[in-house]
Amino acid sequence: MTKKTKPTGQAPHNGRASGGADAGRALPAPAEQFTPQIETEIAGVRFQNPVWTASGTFGYGREFAHLIDLNQLGAICVKGISPEPMEGNPPPRIYETASGMLNAIGLQNVGAKRFLSEKLPFLRTLQARTVVNVFAYSTEDYVRCIETLNEGEGIAAYELNISCPNTRCGGIVYGSDPRLTEEVVAASKRAARYPLFVKLSPNVTDIVMFARVAEAAGADALSLVNTFVGMAIDVETRTPRISNVTAGLSGPGIKPVALRMVYQAARAVKIPIIGLGGIASAEDALEFLIAGARAVQVGTANFYDPGTSPRIVDGIRDYCRRKRLHLADLVGSLKVPATRA
Amino acid sequence: MLAESWNRVPPALPIGRYTNARSSVSIVAMYDDMVAVIENRPLTGGHFLLSLDAPRQAPAVRPGQFAMVRILGRSDVLLRRPMSIFDVTAKEGRDGGPRRARAPRILKLLYKVVGRGTRLMAELQPRDKVGLLAPLGHGFFEEEYLPRAHESDEILHVAGGIGIAALLLPAKRLAEAGFRQRLFFGARTKDDLVGVQDFKPLVCATLSATEDGSAGYRGFVTRPLEEYLTKHTDQKFLLMVCGPWAMLRATVELAKRFRHPCLVSMENRMGCGLGVCLGCCIRVEGEGHEAYQRVCTEGPVFWAEKVVWETERKLGIRD
Ligand SMILES: Cc1cc2nc3c(=O)[nH]c(=O)nc-3n(C[C@H](O)[C@H](O)[C@H](O)COP(=O)(O)OP(=O)(O)OC[C@H]3O[C@@H](n4cnc5c(N)ncnc54)[C@H](O)[C@@H]3O)c2cc1C
Ligand SMILES: Cc1cc2nc3c(=O)[nH]c(=O)nc-3n(C[C@H](O)[C@H](O)[C@H](O)COP(=O)(O)O)c2cc1C
Ligand code: FES
Repeated sequence: MTKKTKPTGQAPHNGRASGGADAGRALPAPAEQFTPQIETEIAGVRFQNPVWTASGTFGYGREFAHLIDLNQLGAICVKGISPEPMEGNPPPRIYETASGMLNAIGLQNVGAKRFLSEKLPFLRTLQARTVVNVFAYSTEDYVRCIETLNEGEGIAAYELNISCPNTRCGGIVYGSDPRLTEEVVAASKRAARYPLFVKLSPNVTDIVMFARVAEAAGADALSLVNTFVGMAIDVETRTPRISNVTAGLSGPGIKPVALRMVYQAARAVKIPIIGLGGIASAEDALEFLIAGARAVQVGTANFYDPGTSPRIVDGIRDYCRRKRLHLADLVGSLKVPATRA
Repeated sequence: MLAESWNRVPPALPIGRYTNARSSVSIVAMYDDMVAVIENRPLTGGHFLLSLDAPRQAPAVRPGQFAMVRILGRSDVLLRRPMSIFDVTAKEGRDGGPRRARAPRILKLLYKVVGRGTRLMAELQPRDKVGLLAPLGHGFFEEEYLPRAHESDEILHVAGGIGIAALLLPAKRLAEAGFRQRLFFGARTKDDLVGVQDFKPLVCATLSATEDGSAGYRGFVTRPLEEYLTKHTDQKFLLMVCGPWAMLRATVELAKRFRHPCLVSMENRMGCGLGVCLGCCIRVEGEGHEAYQRVCTEGPVFWAEKVVWETERKLGIRD
């Protein structure tokens, strides 16, 4: 299943060759001679394609090496790294919802030092770029984490996870307070040896304001979105389904909201946008690209279908070939009726 | 393959040293395919025996490993469901009997309908397809328990309900190597005592218990187990246990009291089965990020002393 060959049909997505109208064609369509350019460049870094795997859903890459060809990916965003190793939350940590899932893992990870010595050497051998997701509970710790990671070779960029509470400011989540967002982005940017992507929290009333704040504070690109805060209750026992009570919602169910936020942010800032939230097929990914994202990330879909990302790469290439478009022509190409523009 | 692995026996580990993914065992073979249903046989008590045509997965299976089953085309059952690999067999010949010489090809899952996912599994018909990611996890691996097995007079398998599904393959492996084995099997009621026939040729005796007394002892399986351990304090045993949390905990208590080594096969909700979501972690001895280990990767099988039983709650799984 995962080793599936590239579809020869002209299906717009997902390798499900449509057959139908195209099936009877005697000559190859002229579209097949067109070689679309699907490389993407963000903050001066070239990625061989715009399909990346999302932080926390792909481990440190190696876990998928037996299932897919990692070299087909544009980049791997690794599990969030903190300055020190973290223990994580007690179980239960996950719960399935309608077309999605809740998680409150508690950001369990090996810490920056062990990431450099144990995980990065393997990632460096890949054609897929390594994006290191960073989080902490105080601005000083964000900086400390980045300073440690700066010693690593072969990191394409940092992705700042700002959906964390600032324990020194009464636990306000960085990404839901414009002043804290500005503070942590500016400090991290000063410290960072590699480009800095900022991953916005969707749990705000005005995503555009946060996109602008992060841009002004020095972000090189924005990724959105992180998970939506949600919860679920076991009515038999009247207890929360997740030990942490509230948890992050991800998966196909969040896609329309994530897409709307990507669209709004892309129109508001000049820096590149990396779109994610519920992407599970090439068509989903294309929606984000057309809405203005220069790259996309696949998250929860990796859990139930590890072949998703390589299939999306093929699907985007096929679509571009059929439409005779390069990726750059596609990004932000949404046609909005004049009355709505 | 079997003989070879029996010969490579490392020295016995002292109790207190544990196994985990960083030990000698590395798991490489895992395959994700859409495979066809051969049979989905209903058993008593809402249980089913699902046979899948799995030419890539079946030969790679080791005892105690599990599979992640994906129901296709259902957005309301998005995540795969973890299921112990109950059995692997060669394709049955035209005469009905298995052809021994052939490589294993059929992967069997024994499951109970408890919710949305398993209800959909129950509707599967021959030739339907499911997504099968297997084999996964750190199972009952002989290179880790064999020294203990050799020191024992008998291997005791202790199953609670559908936990029985994890124990057949290790029992088969041990039977081939000539170990004496005994099965303790507890369930709610008689109809839940499924799969027990397959153990008959492998064990010297089966002791059952049902909570309603409809078969065997009335009460929990730990009662006949405790009686047995009390009667044979002069003997050494190795316990292999799988079942609901409360039953695991009570069994581990007994093993500790009578000083017998004990391997437990744990359950938890799983997001990926691949070791990346960290959703399946349970509390184990250790500190920092070592304090939680993944049931899908370091487990599902752990030495009982490794698991922190006291502080653990129900894991969100209703027993
Ligand atoms: C390593 C492992 C091996 C397993 N082997 C088997 C097996 O061989 N046969 C079998 O019938 N079941 C087995 N299970 C349990 C099985 O995975 C669950 O019964 C199944 O996921 C429930 O899916 P559902 O959609 O029907 O239930 P849901 O609608 O998701 O939930 C219904 C009930 O099942 C419980 N449940 C949900 N997920 C799990 C889980 N991962 N483990 C235990 N309970 C759960 C819930 O708490 C709830 O009470 C195993 C679990 C693990 C972790
Ligand atoms: C189990 C799990 C763990 C996650 N861990 C992280 C993390 O460490 N850092 C981070 O920035 N995002 C993390 N995320 C969020 C994802 O990267 C992604 O933003 C989100 O899941 C939405 O995308 P999706 O719907 O495609 O999954 C995690 C998500 C899940 C489901
Ligand atoms: S199920 Fe995802 S890490 Fe174990």
